[in-house]
Amino acid sequence: MGRLVVSDLQMHYKTRKGNVRAVDKVSFTLEPGRALGVVGESGCGKSSLGLTLLRLLPKNGEVVGGSIRLGDQELLQLTDEEFRKNVRWTKMSMVFQGAMNALNPVLTVGSQIAEAIVAHEQTSKKEAAARARQLLEMVGINPDRYHHYPHQFSGGMKQRAVIAMALACNPQIVIADEPTTALDVMVQAQVLKAMADLRERLGLSMILVSHDLSVVAQTCDDVAVMYAGRIVEYGPVEEVFTNPLHPYTQGLTQAFPDIDAERAPIVSIPGTPPNLINPPAGCRFHPRCPLADEACRRIDPELAEKGRAGHKVACLKVSDDGQAAEVKFA
Amino acid sequence: MSGTYIWRRIGYGLITLFIIVTLNFVIFRIMPGDPTSLVLSPDFTPEMRQLLLEKYGLDQPLPIQYVLYLKSMLTFDFGRSFYNRQPVLEELLARLPNTLMLLGTAFVLNVFIGVTLGLRMATKQGTRLEAAVTGVSLFLNAMPGFFIGLLLLLAFAYYWPIFPIRGTMSVPPPTEFWDIVLDRIHHFILPVAAVTLSGYGSWYLYTRNNVIGALSQDYVLTARAKGLPEQVVLYRHAFRSVLPPIVTLVFLSLPGLITGAVITEQIFSLYGVGRYLIEATTQQDYPVVQGAFYIIALAVLISNMLADLAYGLVDPRIRLR
Repeated sequence: MGRLVVSDLQMHYKTRKGNVRAVDKVSFTLEPGRALGVVGESGCGKSSLGLTLLRLLPKNGEVVGGSIRLGDQELLQLTDEEFRKNVRWTKMSMVFQGAMNALNPVLTVGSQIAEAIVAHEQTSKKEAAARARQLLEMVGINPDRYHHYPHQFSGGMKQRAVIAMALACNPQIVIADEPTTALDVMVQAQVLKAMADLRERLGLSMILVSHDLSVVAQTCDDVAVMYAGRIVEYGPVEEVFTNPLHPYTQGLTQAFPDIDAERAPIVSIPGTPPNLINPPAGCRFHPRCPLADEACRRIDPELAEKGRAGHKVACLKVSDDGQAAEVKFA
Repeated sequence: MSGTYIWRRIGYGLITLFIIVTLNFVIFRIMPGDPTSLVLSPDFTPEMRQLLLEKYGLDQPLPIQYVLYLKSMLTFDFGRSFYNRQPVLEELLARLPNTLMLLGTAFVLNVFIGVTLGLRMATKQGTRLEAAVTGVSLFLNAMPGFFIGLLLLLAFAYYWPIFPIRGTMSVPPPTEFWDIVLDRIHHFILPVAAVTLSGYGSWYLYTRNNVIGALSQDYVLTARAKGLPEQVVLYRHAFRSVLPPIVTLVFLSLPGLITGAVITEQIFSLYGVGRYLIEATTQQDYPVVQGAFYIIALAVLISNMLADLAYGLVDPRIRLR
């Protein structure tokens, strides 16, 4: 099992109006067995990051720089065919939003799990089917439902089937993109618990892409907060959420109601995320940041460790010993 | 799919057929004029006219006529042609093989070329090749079939006469079996080409658009993510999911074949059902027209029924009860 090291990864979508810099110099390390949450607003590049890692970008998406290393292998150097055979699903797999359309409606759920096994291993269809049944059982679905179609499954079952599918070829890393977004809270809790149990049992690493801070807080060890294609804050979940340093992260946590706290108005961050074709100079958050001054407009802050170990932040207003002004959004 | 569903479908079909047949009867009765006046010359004596009326059962009261009519429709006894006194059914059956050969071949080619090309080009969306194929297909699809037929005749039967300009067989006809076969094929190439060129385009566009839509579905992304080979993604995931509407369309287009025969057979002077229908209409040969309408109605109903059943077979989401 190797660690996943992403450094200075840049991915652009080429459009007629210019290049959309969806992932801009993103770096992080995922140790085996750890879970990293990636949070941010819609359009901040968090889903694009997941798709880039598994090379599932649409035709106009292009990696223009950086590196993705898994163990001692540089993934960006593999040809498409090598990547398909040796990385997809066998080393890295993906959990999509199963409640939506991630399962093909005209094929049985079981066969969709088994086909992944057949594509990567020298097994008979019968063996693959038997494995698929075991996988269904592992996520709490009666294996006799192998022959059922997606429309015969409930939303939560579909999501669990999608998780079973992701585990079909014993991957090291699972990338989950909004796995519980379309589910109601009860089902969401069940699915998250199932994922956490499996992760522990199988020693998987996970990247969880979500806009839901509470889901990330519940399931992840570390969190990366993305804004406008960049990671602006990174660190252990507990540390980042209880002691957010970046004004944007502070805004995100304030925008989230706390059921244990006094009743307080929910704040929102004014403004909208920037256009990624032509992002603002300096710190990308400065047009929406109450602390922004002249320096923020000019200098692009680096993601650097400040204050406690492992807590990185990209903000000029945070002192080197990790002191940040408390930001109030109106 | 349950047996009761099939029986119910057949039941509905029979009711519809009954209504169509009844309309067919009523329309011909409420049309102004006496059917015999179309057949008989005014010189006939009233006695002869009476004799004919009795022979055709037209002296009976309408309800009796209706029952007799229903009986003859059920037994495919359409009577004799006004024009040449031959039994209508025999005349139709004699022409049917040519029509089936022309339209069956062209239909299979249409669907095959259109669907495979559509599938291929859907993966090449945005390339020059795809733009060219789509452009040509759109153009041919928009051109009337008879116009393409006439152009083909002009080019390959007149200026460069490698194909016969008319008819279904040479005069005098060949005698050896294989010569007959080759002679038929020789006569059918141009008409089949005309129907195919003007018809494959809609299948192409339909397949291409549906597959492009399917390729952007989440489940295709899932299939790719799983590391399935691109061919498997295309056929098993994208194409499989657009198969239900295509299969339905195949069955729903079957009746159009019969009506589509009319113009092609006329242009290429083929001895087929379509041209017979035109002749019969212009000669006011009502037994023939009535019989042909009945058969077309039957074909439409059977095709619709097959389309419904096929949809249930290829799309698991449709539960037939």
